Amino acid sequence: MSDLRPILLVEDNPRDLELTLAALEKCQLANEIVTVRDGEDALNYLYGQGEHAGRPDSSPAVVLLDLKLPKIDGLEVLEKVKGDPALRHIPIVMLTSSREERDLVRSYELGVNAFVVKPVEFREFFEAIQDLGVFWAILNEPPPRLR
Amino acid sequence: MSAMTDLDACAREPIHRPGAIQPHGALLVLDPASLKVIGASRTAMDWLGPMALDLRALPEAAPLVGVLGRWLAGDLPSSEWQGSLAGRVLQSVAHRSGDLLILEFEAAPAEGREPLELLFPRVRRFAEDLTGAPDIPALLAHTARFIRSLTGFDRALVYQFDADWNGLVEGEDGNGRLPSYLGLRFPASDIPAQARQLYALNRTRIIPNAGYAPVPIESLGPRVGPGLDLSHSVLRSVSPVHLEYMRNMGTLASMSVSIMVDGVLWGLVACHSAQPHLVSLQMRGLCDFSVQLVASEIAARLRGADAARRLALGQLHSHLLASMTSSGQWTRGLEAMPEALLELVDATGAAIIVDGEAPILIGATPEPDDVSWIVSQLATIADGLPWDTASLPLIWPEAERLADVASGVLAVPISDYHTSWLLWFRPEVTRTVRWAGEPHKVVTEHGRIHPRQSFASWQELVRFTARPWTDPERDAAANLRAAIVGIVLRRAEEVAELAEELQKSNKELEAFSYSVSHDLRAPFRHIVGYAELLRERETNLDGKSRHYLESIGEAARAAGQLVDDLLNFSHVGRVSILPRTIDTGKLVREVRHSLELKTAGREIDWQIGPLPNAWGDPTLIRQVWFNLVENAVKYTGPLDRAEISIRGEDRDGESVYHVKDNGVGFDMAYKDKLFGVFQRLQRAEDFEGTGIGLALARRIVERHGGRIWAEGEVGAGAHFHFSLPVPGEGESDV
Repeated sequence: MSDLRPILLVEDNPRDLELTLAALEKCQLANEIVTVRDGEDALNYLYGQGEHAGRPDSSPAVVLLDLKLPKIDGLEVLEKVKGDPALRHIPIVMLTSSREERDLVRSYELGVNAFVVKPVEFREFFEAIQDLGVFWAILNEPPPRLR
Repeated sequence: MSAMTDLDACAREPIHRPGAIQPHGALLVLDPASLKVIGASRTAMDWLGPMALDLRALPEAAPLVGVLGRWLAGDLPSSEWQGSLAGRVLQSVAHRSGDLLILEFEAAPAEGREPLELLFPRVRRFAEDLTGAPDIPALLAHTARFIRSLTGFDRALVYQFDADWNGLVEGEDGNGRLPSYLGLRFPASDIPAQARQLYALNRTRIIPNAGYAPVPIESLGPRVGPGLDLSHSVLRSVSPVHLEYMRNMGTLASMSVSIMVDGVLWGLVACHSAQPHLVSLQMRGLCDFSVQLVASEIAARLRGADAARRLALGQLHSHLLASMTSSGQWTRGLEAMPEALLELVDATGAAIIVDGEAPILIGATPEPDDVSWIVSQLATIADGLPWDTASLPLIWPEAERLADVASGVLAVPISDYHTSWLLWFRPEVTRTVRWAGEPHKVVTEHGRIHPRQSFASWQELVRFTARPWTDPERDAAANLRAAIVGIVLRRAEEVAELAEELQKSNKELEAFSYSVSHDLRAPFRHIVGYAELLRERETNLDGKSRHYLESIGEAARAAGQLVDDLLNFSHVGRVSILPRTIDTGKLVREVRHSLELKTAGREIDWQIGPLPNAWGDPTLIRQVWFNLVENAVKYTGPLDRAEISIRGEDRDGESVYHVKDNGVGFDMAYKDKLFGVFQRLQRAEDFEGTGIGLALARRIVERHGGRIWAEGEVGAGAHFHFSLPVPGEGESDV
C-alpha cells in the first residue's frame, strides 16, 4: 500500500462539501481528496478526460457520490461506472439527503457499494463519513489484478 | 267441451260463408266482366223474375247496369243505385268477392219518409254536439240518442271494448220497451273473435227479424258454391247461435255499427227492437257516416289525452333526471323525489334495489324482506326487459299476502350484471264488475252449447288485482331506465377521468415530496453541522453563548425530524401494501428493543399479554406499534414507575390490539383531535414530538381496512386500540 489512491468526492452543494471535507479531515486520512461539483466532471475525472486529462494514473480508492447533481446526476454516473468493465471495480458510496426508497433500490440495482442517507444530526453525519472514508480508503483492498 | 266457459264452439263457425242471406233483400252473383248472372238468391227470383237471370236483357235495368259498369271502371266512387225494377222501388249496392261481383237489393223506404237531404242539418248539429261533449261517456250518450233518433229502434247501446274484448255499455238511449244495460259488461264470448273481425271489415249489420228463414243462394253455374265469401255482404245470413242469442235477449231486430278508432275495433253502436224493424240501406249508410264522425272525435280525444299525459310524464322524467344528475348516485336522486317517482307511472309505492344494499322503499310497499323475495322471483323469469303484472298473486299465489300494497307490480331491471331493479307497486282494487248476465254460465242441451238466456245484472268481485299498467306508463318506466343507464355510464366515465386526474396529481405529489426530501432536509443538516463545528472550535464560549448554539442545533434537528415525519406520512399514503402474516409477539419485542435507549434507567413494568398474529404489511404495522409503544414510554416519562400493558385477541373476524399506559393521559373531549396531523394535546416543551405519530398510525391502520381508537383520562393514562381484519380463506399466505 505504498501509493495511497485519492478519494473522489462528488458534491454540488458547497455547504455539504465543506461539512463533508471537515468530517474527512477529522479522520486524518493520508489520501488526497479530489472534489468535483457535478456528474459530468466526475466522469471526466474517472476517464481522465477534459479538464482532468493527464491526471495521475491511479483510479480513486472510493467515490463518495451525491445523488442529486447538476448536468449528469449521481445515478447516471453510477450506472456508467458500474457498466464499464474498466471502472466497475471502483467502490462507489452514494450519499443522499433523500430517504426515498426508490433511490436506494435503484442504486443497489446499479451496483452501488454502499448507500448512506445523510443524517440531520451532525455527529451522526460525521461518524458516517469517517467510517466510510476509513473503510473504503484504508481497509478495502482493491481487486488483486489492479495492484 | 265439458269445462268450456264461453261459446268457443261459436268461435269456430265459418260465419262469413253461410251460403244464404236474410229474406229482406235479394242477391245476385255476377261475372264482373260480362255482368252475366251466375248465382242468385231465391228472393232475387221472386223480386226480379226472369230478369234475375240476365240483367242486360231488359231495358229497365239499363241504368243499374250503367252504374255498375262505371263503378267497375273506376268512374264512380259508389256502386249504390236506386230505382224501379219489376214494379218495385229498390236500392242496390255491389261489392267484389274474390273474382266475383255481388249485387244486393233492398226495398227503398216507403214514400213520405224523411228524404235523406233533410237529415244533413241534423247530422251537422250532431257533429257540433260531439265536439262540445265534455268527455267520452258524454260523447257516447249523444251517439246513442242520435242513432236511435235516426233509426227508430227501441234502444241504442254504445259499447266500449276493454283489453280483453269485454264490452262495457257506456252510452244508452231507449224508449223503455227494452231493459237498460247502461254500465253493464258483456263478456267477450258474446261477440266471438271472427265476428269481431267481420265487424272490422263490414262496419254495419242489420237483422230486421231474428225469426227469419235464411234464403239460400243458388248457383246458376259451376263457379258459385256454398263457400261464397259474404264478408262484405249487407244481407249475409247470421249464425243460428246469434239469432238464438237475440231471441234470448228479447230482441227481434238489431243493427250494429262498428266504431273503428285508428283501424282497431274500439266499440260498437248496437240498436235493438223488441219487434222486427228494418232500416234502409241508405239510412244505415248515414248511421255509419255519423259513427265514423264519433270515431274520429274519440281518436282525437284519445290522442289529446295521450299527448297531455306524455307531456306530463316528460316533465316528471326531466325532474327525475335532473335530480339523479345532481346527486351523487341515481338511487339518491330518485329517493329525493318520491312524489315524481310514483307519479311517473301512477303508482302508490316504489322500491329501488341495488345489489347487496338494503332496498330503498318509497310510499306504500311490502316489507324489505318481501321486496327482496319479489326480486328473487323476478330473477327466475327475468330476460333483461321491463316486466309488469296487474295481479302478482295470479302469478305467484304466495304473493296474496302482499296484495294490499303490491297486487300490481311494474319492474324495470337496471343492469344485467348486477341485481338492480326499480319496482313500482299498486294496491289491490277490489272491484265489483256488473256483468249483463253471468258470463261463466254455460247452457248445454243435447251436447250443444246455447248462448246464455239471462241478461240480468250479475255482480262479480274481482280480487288480488290492481289497476292495470298502461302503455304510456310502461314507456315512462322504460325511458327512466334508459336515463338511469345513461347516468350510470356517464358516472363511470367521470370516475375513470377522476382516477386519471388523481393519478396525475399523485405523481406530481410524489415528485414534490421527492424534491422536498432532498432539498428541505439539507439546510437543517447544514445548520446543525455548522453549529457543531462552531461549538468545537470555540472552546471558551460563555454559558449563554453555548446555550444559544445548542438551541440553534436543537431547532434545526427538530425541523429535520418534522420533514422526515411528514415525508413518512405522505409516503404511507402512497405506497402499496404488501401484506403477509406478521408474528406480532416478535414484532413487539423488536419495537421494545429499539426503544431501549429511551427506556434506559427508567422503571417500567411491562405487562405483555397474548398477541395473535396479524395480516398486514410488516414495515408499516411495525411503524404503528413503534408509535404507540413510544408514546406509552414517552407519556409515562414523568412517573417513577410506569406501567405499560400490551395485549391482543381475535374477535369477529378482526385482530384487535391494545396498548395501555398509566401516563399523563388525555382529555376525552379532544379524542377526535388525537389522530389528526399536527394535533398535539401536550405542550411542546413537556414532550417532544412532531404531532404526526398517531396520524401516521391511523393512516396505516385504515389503509389495512382496520380501525384505531383510544380512551384516556388526564393524569390516569391512555388506552389505545387498533384492529386489523383477518383475511378470509385463500387470502393469507399460510
